[in-house]
Formats: sequence, C-alpha cells, structure tokens
Amino acid sequence: MAGSLKPVGAFAITPHKVSVCILLQIYAPPAQASVPFPFSSVSQHNRLGLFLLALTKSCDDILEPQLDELINQLKEIGGLLNHWLSEHLTRKLSALSSPDDLFNLFSSLRSILGGPETSILEDDQIILDPNSHLGMFLRRCLLAFNLLSFEGVCHLLTNIGTYCKEAVSSCPPYDLPDEDDSNNDLEELLEYEDMDLESFVFRKVAEEAEARKRARESATFHTHTPRSLLGLVEDIQVSADSKYKNCDGIGQGSEFLGPSHDTFRGDDHNSGLFLRTNWQVQGYLREQADLIEKHGSSFPLNAFESILKQLQKLAPELHRVHYLRYLNNLYHDDYPAALENLHCYFDYSAGAEGIDAPSSSSSFISYGNYEIALLCLGMMHCYLGHPKQSLEVLTEAVRASQQHNNDTCLAYTLTSICNLLSEIGISNATGIIASSYSPVTSIGTSLSIQQQLLVLLRRSLKRAESLKLTRLVASNRLAMAKFDLTHVKRPLLSFGPKASTKLRTCPIDVCKELRLSSYLLSEFGSDGASLTIDGAFSTAWLKNLQKPMASSVLSQENRSENGSDAFQFGSQPSSIPGYVLQLAGASYLLRATAWELFGSAPVARLNALVYATCFADGSSSADLALAYVKLIQHLAVYKGYKEAFSAMKLAEEKFLSVSKSRMQLLKLQLLHERALHRGHLKLAQQVCDEIGVLASSVTGVDLELKTEASLRHARTLLAAKQFSQKSGNAVLGLPYVLASLSFCQSFNLDLLEASATLTLAELWLSLGSNHAKRAKALIHRALPMILGHGGLELRARAFIAEAKCYLSDPNFSVLEDSEVVLDSLRQASEELEVLEYHELAAEAFYLMALIFDRLGQLEERESAASSFKDHVIALENPKDDEGLLLDSYST
Amino acid sequence: MGSKESCRTELRTAIRQLNDRCLYSASKWAAEQLVGIEQDPAKFTPSHTRFQRGSSSIRRRFRTNELPSTPTAGVSYITTPVPEEDDLVDSDCYLLAKSYFDCREYRRAAHALRDQTGKKSVFLRCYALYLAGEKRKEEEMIELEGPLGKSDAVNHELVSLERELSTYRKNGTIDPFGLYLYGVILKEKGREDLARTVLVESVNSYPWNWNAWSELQSLCTTIDILNNLNLKNHWMKDFFLASAHQGLRMYSESLSKYEYLQGTFPFSNYIQAQIAKAQYSLREFEQVEVIFEELLRNDPHRVEDMDMYSNVLYAKESFSSLSYLAHRVFLTDKYRPESCCIIGNYYSLKGQHEKSVVYFRRALKLNKNYLSAWTLMGHEYVEMKNIPAAIDAYRRAVDIDPCDYRAWYGLGQAYEMMCMPFYALYYFRKSVYLQPNDSRLWIAMAQCYETEQLHMLEEAIKCYRRAANCNDREAIALHQLAKLHNELGRTEEAAFYYKRDLERMEAEEREGPNMVEALLFLATYCKAQKRFEEAEVYCTRLLDYTGPEKETAKSLLRGMRAAQSLPSMDVEHFPP
Repeated sequence: MAGSLKPVGAFAITPHKVSVCILLQIYAPPAQASVPFPFSSVSQHNRLGLFLLALTKSCDDILEPQLDELINQLKEIGGLLNHWLSEHLTRKLSALSSPDDLFNLFSSLRSILGGPETSILEDDQIILDPNSHLGMFLRRCLLAFNLLSFEGVCHLLTNIGTYCKEAVSSCPPYDLPDEDDSNNDLEELLEYEDMDLESFVFRKVAEEAEARKRARESATFHTHTPRSLLGLVEDIQVSADSKYKNCDGIGQGSEFLGPSHDTFRGDDHNSGLFLRTNWQVQGYLREQADLIEKHGSSFPLNAFESILKQLQKLAPELHRVHYLRYLNNLYHDDYPAALENLHCYFDYSAGAEGIDAPSSSSSFISYGNYEIALLCLGMMHCYLGHPKQSLEVLTEAVRASQQHNNDTCLAYTLTSICNLLSEIGISNATGIIASSYSPVTSIGTSLSIQQQLLVLLRRSLKRAESLKLTRLVASNRLAMAKFDLTHVKRPLLSFGPKASTKLRTCPIDVCKELRLSSYLLSEFGSDGASLTIDGAFSTAWLKNLQKPMASSVLSQENRSENGSDAFQFGSQPSSIPGYVLQLAGASYLLRATAWELFGSAPVARLNALVYATCFADGSSSADLALAYVKLIQHLAVYKGYKEAFSAMKLAEEKFLSVSKSRMQLLKLQLLHERALHRGHLKLAQQVCDEIGVLASSVTGVDLELKTEASLRHARTLLAAKQFSQKSGNAVLGLPYVLASLSFCQSFNLDLLEASATLTLAELWLSLGSNHAKRAKALIHRALPMILGHGGLELRARAFIAEAKCYLSDPNFSVLEDSEVVLDSLRQASEELEVLEYHELAAEAFYLMALIFDRLGQLEERESAASSFKDHVIALENPKDDEGLLLDSYST
Repeated sequence: MGSKESCRTELRTAIRQLNDRCLYSASKWAAEQLVGIEQDPAKFTPSHTRFQRGSSSIRRRFRTNELPSTPTAGVSYITTPVPEEDDLVDSDCYLLAKSYFDCREYRRAAHALRDQTGKKSVFLRCYALYLAGEKRKEEEMIELEGPLGKSDAVNHELVSLERELSTYRKNGTIDPFGLYLYGVILKEKGREDLARTVLVESVNSYPWNWNAWSELQSLCTTIDILNNLNLKNHWMKDFFLASAHQGLRMYSESLSKYEYLQGTFPFSNYIQAQIAKAQYSLREFEQVEVIFEELLRNDPHRVEDMDMYSNVLYAKESFSSLSYLAHRVFLTDKYRPESCCIIGNYYSLKGQHEKSVVYFRRALKLNKNYLSAWTLMGHEYVEMKNIPAAIDAYRRAVDIDPCDYRAWYGLGQAYEMMCMPFYALYYFRKSVYLQPNDSRLWIAMAQCYETEQLHMLEEAIKCYRRAANCNDREAIALHQLAKLHNELGRTEEAAFYYKRDLERMEAEEREGPNMVEALLFLATYCKAQKRFEEAEVYCTRLLDYTGPEKETAKSLLRGMRAAQSLPSMDVEHFPP
C-alpha cells in the first residue's frame, strides 16, 4: 500500500536455525561433565563450538544451507563423530511432528543458557553465557519462537518437514523414518517469513540506527559514478593515441555466475531459497549490483533475471529488485527493458526505499526523491549513447534538485553532466548547446563546449567539496585531471592582449589532481564506512565459512592446534568499500595514460602493473583488460612482438568473453605494426581492412575506431610510397616536423617531441653532409629522452642516425674512432632484429659492413654483409613466413 | 444464431448441469441469458422452468439434440449435442458431497466422493479440492505476509490435481467440465498455451459454461491469439467474441456483436451492461446513463458494473443521483468492492478526498487487483497533492493491467505536476500508444512538450495535430495549433487553424476570448494579405465585443478604408 513500509530488521526462525539450536544443545548439554557425552576429547568439543560459531555468524546471510549441506559440513568437522552428530540431528528434526514437540524443544533449549549472574557456576558444567555470541543467538531464536503465532508455529513445522524431506531425497544414505504419512502440503516449499515479529535485539537496533543515519546520504545507492568515471579513463585512451575503444556488447552468454548463485537451486519451485530478512535481501541485491557494474555485459543476463523474477514474486514490496533488473538490462544494452524497470522502480519507491528510506525526513513525504530518478535516467541515456536525451533529463534533474533543495543530488547531477560533455565531445554537442534552456548555456553561450566543461567541472568540484561528498570529490578530481591531460590551458576569458597566452598543458596539474583524488579516498571512513555494514557483508561470511572448512583445517586433525586462527574467522572481506577501490584504481589507470602521453613508458607500465595487480578485484573486467592491453603494448614496443603475442595469448584466455573485441583490436594493431616493420604491405592492408570491419560492427559504427582504421590505412599507403621513392624531398618535410615539434612542446609530450627531433635530424642529414653537425647536436639533445623512455624502434633509429651523422661528418675519422659508430650500430641492429624491422636492420648492417671494410676487418665485414643480405631477402620476399603470421593471426 | 427456442432449451439444460457441478456463477450467467430471451408464456411459466433440478423426467424432456436450429444468413452455426449424463440417478455419496459443498465444506465434500468414479463425481471432487486449496491459499497469504509483501502462498492441491486431470485427459475419460478445471489449473501454473488448448477443447464440447469462456478470454491478450483459436461456431462464441473484443479495446467491434446478440436476448441485463461498458469506453456518457437507469429499474439490487455508472454520474457531477446510488448499493451489500468504489466516488465529488481514499482503500482490501480503484485512488492523491502516493497507486494499477491507459496518463500527469515534463513524456507516450484515438492524451502530451522547460514546439504541434484529428471535444487542439504556428511565425498555417477553430466555435455556438483572438488574428492577417473584404468582415464582428479589441478593430478598419480609398481617389483624379 502506498508509502507504508514495515520495520526493517527481522530475525525469523527457520528450519536451519532449529538445526543449529539442536547442535547447540549437543554442544552444551545441561549438567554434564567437562567433556560431554559424545565427544572424546576437548579439542573435538571445541571444534564443534567453532563450527557453531561460524554457523551463527553466517546466519544473517541471505541463503541458508539445506540439511544435506549442513550434514556435509558436519562430516568434515566431526571425524568419527560425524555419523552420530548427523544422525542425532536428523532424528531430532524428524521427530518434530506436532507443534507441541517444537514447544518442548525450545523450552529445553532454555536450560542451556546460564542465568544473568553466572558467577555461581559449578566447575564442570558447560553453560552458555547469555551474552556470548552463541548465547545471544540462542536467545534470539527463543525470542523469535515465543513471538510466533500459532499459524507461525504450524508453518515452521511444515517447513521443517520439507527441509528433512529434501535432505532425504538428495542424500539417500541417511535413513530417516518414513515421512510419507505427511500430506500433500509438503510437496511445495513454504516460505516462512514473519518479520513483524522481531525488531528487538540490540544489534539490529544498532543497525537500523545506522541505516537511518545512512539514509541521509540517500543518493549513494543509485549513482554509478565510479563506473562512468572508469569509462572516462577508457575514453582518454581513445582520444589520446586512438588505439583502443571501449567495446562492450560482445561476450554474451558466458557461463559466469556470481559466486553465491550456485547455492540457488530453484527450478520450478524454489527449494534452495530461504528468503531472509529484508536486510539481508537488500545486502544481497547490493552485492549483485556491484557485480553487474563490475562485469558489465558478461554478467549472465537471463540467469540473474530469473532469480530477480523469483525474488519479485516472493517479495512484491521489495522494489529494489526493479532497480537490479534495470541495471542488468542496462549493461546488456536492452534499452526498452531498462527504461521500463527504471520507471517502475522510481514509481514505487520514489527513489527512497527500504534501508535508504529517510522515513523521518519530511521533505520526502511531500516530494519524494524523483530527482534521483532523473539522474539515473540521464546516466542511462548517456551510457546508451543518447546524449541529447541525456542532457535534457539531466537538465530537468538540475531543476528538480534545486527545487527540492537536494544539494547532494545536484552535485551528482553536475558531475554527470560533466561526464556527458566530455564524452560526447565537441562535434555533436553543438546542437544541444544551441538550445537556450540548458544549464550549460546559462554560463554563457560565448564559451566553447570545452570551456563550459571546465567551468562545470570547477563548479561541481567546489560543490562536492562543500558538501563533503568525498568520493564525488575524488571522482571530480579524476575528471579534472583527465581534462587537464587532454586540453591546452588557456585563460578562460582573455581581456586584451596583456593576458597570458602561454599555451601549455600542465602535467603538474594533472599529477596534483590525481594525487588529491586518491589522497581523499584514504578518508573514506568519514564518508561511507557505514555503507559496508549491511547484508552484503554477512553474505561474505558464508563464503568464508565454506572456504576454510573445505581446505585447510577441518579435514586435518593436527592442524586444529592452531586454534581459532586457523579457521580464519577474521578473514572477513576487506573493509575497504568497492567504490574506493574502484576510484583509486581509476586514478592509477589514468596515471598510466598520463605517463604514456607525457612520454615515460616505464612509469606508465608501472602504473598499469599496479592497477592490474592491486585493483583487479575491485575493478570492472573491461578496465582490467585495458590495463593488460597497455602492458602488452609496452611489451611489444620494448621486448618485441614474440613476447607480446605470447602475453596476449594469456590475456585472451583471461578475458575470454569480457572484452574480446578489445583484445582482438590489440592483436590487429600489433599485427599491423609488425607487418609494416617487416614490409609485408599486403598483409598490413588486410589487417587494416579487418580493423575497419571491427569498427562498423552490427551494433553500430564506432567512429573512433573507424578513424584509427583509416589512419592506419594511410600509414600503410605511406610506407608503400616510401618504397617507391626512397627519399622524398627533405625540404618539404621540414615544416611539418617543425610544426609537430611546437605542438609537442605545448602539450608536454616529451617522447613524441624527442622523436620529432630525431626526424628533424634525419631531414637535416639528408640535406647534405654540411648539415651533419647540426643534426648530431639535435640527436644528442634528444638522446637522453629516447634512451630513457623510447621504444626499440625509436632507439634504433636514433642510433643509426647518430652513426650516419658521424660518418658523414668530414671531421670524423673512422679509423681513429670506429667504436663510437660501431657500438651504436650494433645496438641498433640487435634491437631491430628483435623488432623484425627488416628495412632498418638492413641499413644498419650495410653501414656496419662499410665500416668493417674501411677498417679492414674482413671477417666481420662478411658476417655483416650476409646479415644485410638476409634482411633484404626477407624484406623482398615477405612470403616465406606469411603462413606463420596468418597462423598467429587466426588464433 | 440458433433459434430462440433452441437457445432456450439448451440453456435450461445447461443451468441444471452447471448447478449439478456446483459451477454456480456459470449457471447464474446462463440463467440471466435464459430470461433475457423473449419469454414464451404459453408454454412455460417461469416458476416451471426455473430452478428445477434433480428431476430426471424433466431433464429428459428437455434433452434437445433433436431440436432443429435454423442458421442465420452468413454464419453457419453448429449444434453441439448436449452431453448425456453418465449416471441418471445420483448416488447417495454424491448427494452428500453436494450438500457439503453447498455448505462450503470443500474438503469434506471431496472426502465423501473419494471412491466415486462417475465423471460428475470425479469433477466435483477435483473442484472441491481445488476450492479447498484456494481457500487455504488465501488464508496463508495473510498469515505469511511479511514486510516485503506477501509470500508465495500457493494452492497445494494444484500439483496432484494437475497430475490426475492430465491422466484423465490422456485416457480420454475427461468430460468438458474436467477440461475446464484442468485449464484453470494449467493457467495458474503458468502453462498458458496448454491451458488455452484445453479450454478450447472444453468450450467446443460444452459451450454453455461461461466460466470456461471467461478463463479463455483472460488468456487472449492479443488479437492474434484470439484469431488463432480454433473455435466451433456456436452462438456462445458470439458472447465470447464480444467480450474478448472489449477486453482488447476494440469497442466498436464488441458493440456491434452485442447489438447483434440483443436480437436473440433482448432482455438480457448482462448484454445491456456490456453495451454500457463499451459505450463508456467510447465516452458516450449520455447513452450509458440511459442504459443504467433502465438496468436499475429492472434489477434494483444489482451491484455489478455499478461502479462504472457511478463514474458516469461523477463525470456529469450529478450529486444527488450519485448519493442515491451509493445509498442503494450500500444497503444491498456494503462489502462489495464496487460499493466501496461508488462511495469513494461520491466523496471525491464532494471534495472530501481523505474520506474518499478510505473507501477506495477498503475496496482494495476486498480485492487487491481492483484496477479502477487503484486508478481512482491515484486521482484522489493527486487532488490531495500527495504525489508520491498517487504515483504509487497508479503504478500498481499499471502493474495489474499494463494496458490501462488511464493509469499511465495519471502517472504522466503526476510527474508533470512535479515539474518533470521530460520524465512525464515517457508515461504519456505509453498511454497514447494504448489509446491512440483519445484527443485528451495527445493534448496532455503536447502540453508537456510546450512547457517552458522543454519548449519543444515542433513536437507539440505534431501532438496537437493528432489531437485535432481525433475527436477533440474541448477544442483545445485547434486553438493551440493556431497559436503555436503564429508563435513560430508561420502565419499561413496559423490562419488556417484559426479559421477552422472559428468555424468550429460558430458551429457549437461558443463565445469567449478564443473567439476574439481568432477574429483579431484573422483580421490582421487578411489585411496584411490585402484581402480587405475578408478582413472587414472579421473586424466588424470584432466590433461586437467590448474591450481593447474593439478599438484595435476600429483602427484596423480605418487603416483599410484609407488604403482602399487611396487608389480609388487616384481613379477619381485621373478619369479616363
């Protein structure tokens, strides 16, 4: 019914809990000796205690184990006792045939609890401290049972019957008394969930208080900012060196399932799914939401959809299911379904539901949080590539949040607009900006879109800072860094000629923003530490319970001496929330990109490596794939193609379905480069065409990719041209090189600048020997940069050019100083051989042969000459290992 | 159509057979149609024909397979033989079970029939078990309701019943009633295709069970499904088709079918109510009112469909009739969802929205899936400015029936009130898609586009054009079209629409500011176009009004005369 929600936390008694209670009774039988009956040693007894502790801790999980699972777990702990324990348990359970049996069971349970004054205790007696974890659990169970209505008891009884029966059917070895006298009611599983009855226990109360506290931060659940920011990082890639493109959408239908799914067994009737408290379900959903955002399109659409449908049937008032369905559909690019579910979710919950519900806040009652709906809708359109709609909606969101004084939402909305602007770029934004109603234009129509973006970024950063939204600040800083990276800074409004006209990008700014961003994240505790205290946290208990059980301890007697540490009960999931990891990771990925641009390949590699190793858990697989791609490219440039291809094979296995297209693209790029180096122009052309095909896939034309394809095409043609007329008119090339030099300087692209300098030197050199000195000076200037950060090809080129300079310098005598030249030529030839760059390698060997000839070292001359011949032959007959190439290409 | 006589005899037998199987609502329906046929007082007095059962001599007398039926032109109807009863004398166990059943002791009834093998007994046993399961399910639903809504309480009998009935069907020992029950169970288990097949089998072999037809109708969600049903041409099929067309919002088809049926069943209240329903959907309120008045005269204690009547009275703002109706249904049965809805409507009309919500809530408590109550409650919340609650209520209506365009429209309106026009468009689009011929929806959408936040005038014009092409009673669309075109500087289009608007206002004899605006624009426009005569006409008409327009008209006239007289003066100056 409209707007009414029942209390949040609840502790319902279920058959599994009854089982645990029975085991507790075995663990602490009333009035017994120090080692009670079935146990043979203290350690055995303790082990059961630890097992029970784990069980009770995991009882806040969404899924409860079935009886046969519980028995299997018992088997691992029990050793000799296992038979006795499981038999006792099943006997006890199946003996419960009337409500009175249940009443008796629970009243007998009461006796194992100690009184409030536990000081008067007999030495040997095992009594549970009522304030211990186990004692608390027992008390909660007792209380929940006492609060049950008679109908509730009947349902519990029916459920226990089903619980036993399923165990019987799934594990025949355990003989149970025949239950066939039970009527048809047991055929179908009954969910029992009477949640009104409990809202008592302190912890829950505390949790609820926390939830309410958190509710003030109501926008948290709905925003997928971190994800879209990661998307930004990818886009930098594209605009900067136009090599990669975000390629979601492929890789459907993998078998991947979220870790906890396998516990679901529900087919037509949902036997495995014991619905738990609202709290736990919400936690489960939150966890799944993270998973969806992390895995994107590789998340199993239909499997999860059916789970959600089931959940919706079981709990029609749990509207967050709609949100999950929206997310699921969104990441599978199902526009109509996503839209439908989004609207549905916000219609029902008004953007505030369940644990997020600010029930006390009065503004909600009158308005709802519909601006969040707009924000989500805007991000959805942005994600699906409808910039125009997205901007419309976000504009409306700005208005709505201003109207309802929702500053948080406003901050998030501004950030989303920034994302949108930076994503759609200049070309197609003009149409949108032209319309006069957008908030963007209110800044001033005279500004270009990039300037508007900067203003907006500054604004939203300021707003986020003043509102103390730590992660928004962090992500804004990242966006800022990205902006600084890609844009030349210029005074926003220049007044007259006196204004500074220094046009440069500022690496320092970029670094500053990046640092600030991750620095802020270390303070996440103040922002959202309470976020993790929810059901998602407790689901982890189940996993952790199963992990150590199976592997380390329980199977081996001798290891249990380690005590409770061995159980790794403390191995809870790290307390750092996923979004912090994501943001921190994003900053590293961005750093890698920045360094790549500014020209330090090793540092770029370092950052990519950090990302791949440290943030692999928290990041989306698409981003992880990107990091791998970077590392492989680095390998190709520094270690040659062989290593790169072998690394790629590994990566391909790892990202089988996730970002297949990205890997494919990388492969094509590498093949193209290699083909160019080897002079296999035909193959290069073929690969180019392949890239072109990749660009215009079924899902839509990818413009960036298309550009790259044509660029590579041009490069191929250029290479062909170079062959026909070996050296063009050098003078003609000069202006281009100079222009590129100044461009590089203004953008601080050091490595590119070095390579431009090298080209310049080469040009000078080709103009005649009298320019050799100038060329040499240029090369020496660039050499530190090239040797420090340059790739193999660049270094080799530098070496050869340097050698040529010496050789053509009339003041230089080969006989006196041969090692200077030979050394660099040797290095160059080695590097080029790794690179399989036949053309340049042949040149190097030719020069070497000439020098050896002059020096009179005939043997060396011959070997250099034969190497030269090899390379020339390889260059002229590309056929000989084409098969191998195509082979690796087709894999 | 079979002859009236054959219909009558068929129905009489059917009523008894349905009663024997405790299918009471189907038998009620059949009986209503029976008295809907023109009575033949010479042969049977009503007391003689009605409510006799168990007497095999009478039953034999009315076995009607040999009666000839005269097919009407065009459609050839088939006669379905009325099935023989397998046991002419009911067993004692059956009689006991039926008594239990009539006292609503379903499990006892089933138990009493546990060893019976006759088809009738088997059906009654299965039906009793099914109802017992349903009853338990309802109880459990309340017992198990948690904070996240109801748990999935299920009818525990379904599985075993399905197994049993499918065996019977395989063996060929199932009768049409068994098939009907099997179809219901299959539908509840979500196996709709098989359910449809089974129900078609049922109605083809025994067409007089209206329950089976309505179950079948609920499974026909698209016109394609309906057309692909392999149904025999029995006259009951016409009832079905009429109802199914109505369900698919094909009102005129439905209406013509009902009118055709009225030829045979001229006194059927059911048909009358259905016609009213279709007319209501076509917004012919006057006719609906007439029909309902007559219905109430014939059947003063009728509660069914009266909520629709109250809607009409609400729309016509007839306070006293509505209160009279509310009082009457209240005395008849106050715990019917329809009654609560009528009272809610009354309070809403009185402007007491809180009270109105209370009654709608009560209606929903009685029937959670009562569509119109959700929508009406949404309207009330909108009146009370509790938009989130209104949205929630509308959304529930939409989830019950995704084709309810009123609720979609309500959602759109609610969001528009929240100043979220772009967001609201989604909902208006949905409603317009479902009801493309309703001008109100198009106008609402156009107004959304027109808001200053969106200011998408081209789109607004498109919507208004659609609205103008539909039956736009309030005549908003033409005026808006003219205004928007004028705003965009397209004077020619603007003049066209102003003219049409003017013609319409003249035809409907309406006056008002729109008239003045149209006249003023046309006068100016014609003057600019140098069509002085026309302009003069408009100006003189403007002179009838008071206010600044009158002065404008005067000055326009003066200007025109000056312009006209100038060339004529030239002529005077230079005579030929």
